[in-house]
Parts: sequence; C-alpha cells; structure tokens
Amino acid sequence: MKKLAKLLKISGLFFYIGLFTLGGGYAMIPLMEEELVKKRHLFTMEEFYEMFAISQVTPGPIAINMATFIGYREGGVIGSVFATTGVMLPSIIIIIAISLYFKSFIKNPFVHKFFLGILTGVVAEISYITVDLWKRTKIDLFFWAVFLLSLAEVFLLKVNPIYTILIGGAIGIIYYGFIKKEQND
Amino acid sequence: MISFIKIYLEFFKIGAVTFGGGQAMLPILKHELVTNLHWIDMKDFLYFLSVSQVTPGPIAINMATFIGYSMRGFVGSLVATTGVASPSFIVILLIATVFKKFADSRIYKAFIKGVKPVIVVLLIGAIYLIIKGAFVGAIPFVLAAAAFAVFIKFKPNAFLFLIAMGVIGIFLIP
Repeated sequence: MKKLAKLLKISGLFFYIGLFTLGGGYAMIPLMEEELVKKRHLFTMEEFYEMFAISQVTPGPIAINMATFIGYREGGVIGSVFATTGVMLPSIIIIIAISLYFKSFIKNPFVHKFFLGILTGVVAEISYITVDLWKRTKIDLFFWAVFLLSLAEVFLLKVNPIYTILIGGAIGIIYYGFIKKEQND
Repeated sequence: MISFIKIYLEFFKIGAVTFGGGQAMLPILKHELVTNLHWIDMKDFLYFLSVSQVTPGPIAINMATFIGYSMRGFVGSLVATTGVASPSFIVILLIATVFKKFADSRIYKAFIKGVKPVIVVLLIGAIYLIIKGAFVGAIPFVLAAAAFAVFIKFKPNAFLFLIAMGVIGIFLIP
C-alpha cells in the first residue's frame, strides 16, 4: 500500500508538471527542478543535472527521458511507468478533447487565421532557437562539413531525414571515434 | 485501415531518432507521415502543429496524440504516444540500470557530435516546411520577420507570444 501511494504521488507530480508547462519539453525542466530538487529534496542539484545532461543526448522527447529517469530512481521500472504516464496524460487528454471538435471549429475563417498567425510565430520561435543553437555551438570545420552535407541531403537530394541523422552520427563516429582518436578534446 | 502495430512501430521509429527537442523532429514527422505514408495531409499536419505549440506538454506527445487520434480514434492516440515514448523509456532504463556510462562513452559522444549539425539542418527544415505549407503572399513573411525581431529583443514567454501572434493573424492575415 505504501509503495502504491508513493507511485501515485510520483505520477501525480508528473501530471502536474505536464499540465502546467506550455512550450514543449524543455520548458518543463525549471518546474521539475523546482518541484523535485528545491521543494522535495528528492535529488541534489548535481544528480538532477546529470540526468538532464543524459536526457539531452539520448533519443526521444526530453520530458519522457527525464520522467523515465526520475521515476526509475524513485520507484524502479514501475516508478518510471507511473512517471511517464503522468507526464503524458495531460497532453493526451487535452489533445483528444480538442480533436473531438477540431474538424468543426477549423472551418471558421477566424480560427483558421488564428492558427496561421500562430504558425508565423512558430517560424520566428524556431528561427530564434536555430540562431541560439548556432551561437552556442563550437563551429569548426567538422561541423561545417556535416552541416553542408546534411543541408544538401535534406533540400537537394530529398533524403529521408532519419537517414540524415544516422549518416551524421556515423560520420561523427568515424571522425571522432577513429580518425581523431589520438587527440583529446 | 492502418493497423495498431504499424502505428506503434512508425512512432517508435520516430521517437528513436528524435534528438534535440520537438521542433527538430518536425521534418521527420512530415517526411514519414505526410510524404511517405500519406497517413495525414499537409493541411492537418500544420493545424496539429500549431495547436501542439500552444497546448501543455511535450510537442512530440501532442503531435503523436493528434495523429494517432485522427487515424484510429482513442486507441490510436494511445498507441502512437506509447510508440513515440518507448525508445526513450528503453534507452533511459538501460542507462539507469546496466549501461551507466553509455552516454559518456567515447563512441556515443562521437555519434552525438555528428548529429548536432544535422539538428540545425532539421530546424531549418522545420522553418521551411511551415513557410512552404502555410505562408501565402507577403503578410505572413512580414509578420514572421517582425515576430523574430521581437523574440530576439524581448525573449517573451513562448506561449503568450504565440497566442498574441494568433490574435494578430486574425486581423492581418487576408
């Protein structure tokens, strides 16, 4: 019983985090830190940022990675099931509720224009993210080479972006794993 | 009718190659689900995309719910979200239990170094697909450019910013 209560608590906490963050998975990180580190002291800052660092470089939505990690540390595999379910549930409920009425209200021209307006904002937001990422990255010759190759793959050769990712990763392994092996970075 | 297993596997695949946040995932989603499989059309894709940006939760989960629901209703949405979350779940559990040093290994770090430039390209791809699919005439371009300037200068709350752009869109988009 005690274990179930603990699991439900984790689930509830992640439900709360999922419900009250707008703007994607990255926006959840400050709230997670607030709730898990500062308020509840379940993890130290160092542990939290170690999980965050790993979640950033492993595949999948960052919120799911974090929820799996934290859930596991709190309650094993079952704990991670409860945590990820909790963090996904608000999305699922809200989107299904919207889906029920979507087809009818999208016909309204004002609604249509509202969404087009949002998309202009999304273009601005992604542009900002791109510029910001570019500024924060060490742009060396290797980066340029893979960047230009991927650009050509996606826009000229119309390669499936999944392959573009795998090709980039493979080039990384070949270059940094074998060719530049001797040097430390 | 597309089977639940197919939906699950497709979203599993997408989840497995998502690096660097939901926005970088958009060209992958579009290429797989709109171009290759024709599971949804571009118009719905863009609607789902705009709603996903202004509702709570990870964008990837929102998109998976939307697309899964549009294909096979309630169960479809659960299957799609479970699919997109499964790789995360498996990889993180493996790291938390057996391969503690996996993300720190030299080979994986080398892999990520190669993926980083691709993420920038995918973000550019996301911008391109929205412009190509939704921008008609000069006004959306002007709005996006103005919004970009506002974003750089004031770094506003993303949600309020997008809602404001939506309202502006009602008045200015012909």
